Amino acid sequence: MTGGLSVSRTVGRLSAVVLALFGGACSHRDRIVIGAKNFTESDFLAELLAQQIERRTGLPVERRLHLGGTYVCHEAITSGKIDLYVEYTGTAYTEILKHPPIADADSVYRADSLEYAKTLGLTWGRPLGFNNTFAITVRRADAEKYGLRTISDVARIAPRLRAGFGYEFLQRADGFGGLARAYGLRFAAPPTAMDLGLTYRALAQGNVDLIAGNSTDGTIQALDLVALEDDRHYFPPYDAAPVMRTELVTRHPEVARALAELAGKLSAAEMRRLNLAADVEHRDIAALAREWLAKNLP
Amino acid sequence: MNLLRFYGDHAREAFGLLGQHLVLVGASTFLAVLIGVPLGVLLTRRPAWRGPVLGLANVFQTIPSLALFGFLIPLPFLGGIGARTAIVALVVYALLPIVRNTYVGISGVDPAVREAGRGMGMTDGQLLTMVEIPLGLGVIFAGVRVATVVGVGTATIAAAIGAGGLGVYIFRGVSTVDDTLILAGALPAAILALIADGLLGLIERRLAR
Repeated sequence: MTGGLSVSRTVGRLSAVVLALFGGACSHRDRIVIGAKNFTESDFLAELLAQQIERRTGLPVERRLHLGGTYVCHEAITSGKIDLYVEYTGTAYTEILKHPPIADADSVYRADSLEYAKTLGLTWGRPLGFNNTFAITVRRADAEKYGLRTISDVARIAPRLRAGFGYEFLQRADGFGGLARAYGLRFAAPPTAMDLGLTYRALAQGNVDLIAGNSTDGTIQALDLVALEDDRHYFPPYDAAPVMRTELVTRHPEVARALAELAGKLSAAEMRRLNLAADVEHRDIAALAREWLAKNLP
Repeated sequence: MNLLRFYGDHAREAFGLLGQHLVLVGASTFLAVLIGVPLGVLLTRRPAWRGPVLGLANVFQTIPSLALFGFLIPLPFLGGIGARTAIVALVVYALLPIVRNTYVGISGVDPAVREAGRGMGMTDGQLLTMVEIPLGLGVIFAGVRVATVVGVGTATIAAAIGAGGLGVYIFRGVSTVDDTLILAGALPAAILALIADGLLGLIERRLAR
């Protein structure tokens, strides 16, 4: 009996401490915390949103960049450790909401917004304007030699090619298995599973002939590679858009208004250029964001 | 429980990866001994080289594996993707303990014993094979043991360059946030390291006697 009581008392005390920690954070915070996943584009977008919020609302924004993958950011925002981050519609649809992939961008966005609002207390902002989809990528020399423009073109000569993919692409519901079925892809050998970052180098060096990168990666341009068109629309849309805690939107509607100004303003070509500037030319993302805002949203 | 079910469903694959892992560790440790022991002996003959060579081996150890793979991919013969590149990287990581322990083992031989050998008219080669290596063998082998045990853990990174091994489960698990998968790779690697340590420890005690 006493044991049970003391356990429940300990639990009570612990939750009080936890509450105090969170409550403390909440009460003096008109500080907004923005998160990002662990790659350059996500960091840049978080910085861009942070600067836009700061200059339009005057509210201080704390940056928690490079947090980890989709899962980590999702946990952080649902538990209130961060107030917003940039998510991709297709990723939320397949990875978080666990739906089988579909191709229509509007349906995906609508389903995401609805279910996030209903079950998670999260609000989707308008998409920023670009789709960072998987990019089936080959060397320019091969694209020219075999006349490759679409993934269907590759399916014809796939038995002559070696593929290398990151582990995530090999495992995801909207990854390699479905792609191979959708296009009837048969490679010379099963694709080599390797680190995603190394696939670019392996492709450029000719160790593999085909990889799955991200369509907004600056390295595609830098290494003279060609991203092929997904002509059968296998990949769901991955439109980047801010995801915010609904509580933040209610408390500070001006934040949502500031972010709405960014809707549709950032094209895929522009995002590729920015990634290239950050990754290959090692430019500072804060400076890049400042320049972009000054030029596009004066 | 999940883990047992996973192994039940994927027994063939799991054994295949375990086999690849053993080959990676075995081949890389073997090559590291082939390179590291003569190098360690050389250092006892050329003391001026000791600083630079051990320093370099030290630096090699600090290179993050993904960066090392990045450097290796474009290299002819040594590089590319697959088991060969992974083994080259593992050899690089295994060299330091082997070279250092060989040097220490041989230079720790009692000078009086060495003098006695010389006095009996031994050549440098005879001194090495008949006196110094037998006496230093315990220490040299301790280096091989460290290299092997560390290698069992390090070999999980081979999965980053398409060389397979138990790291495949770890990489898959990390990319899909699946703890069962991560454990499916990490747990047998840890057990393997303990077994290797135990077995090599037994041999080492024999040699030291």
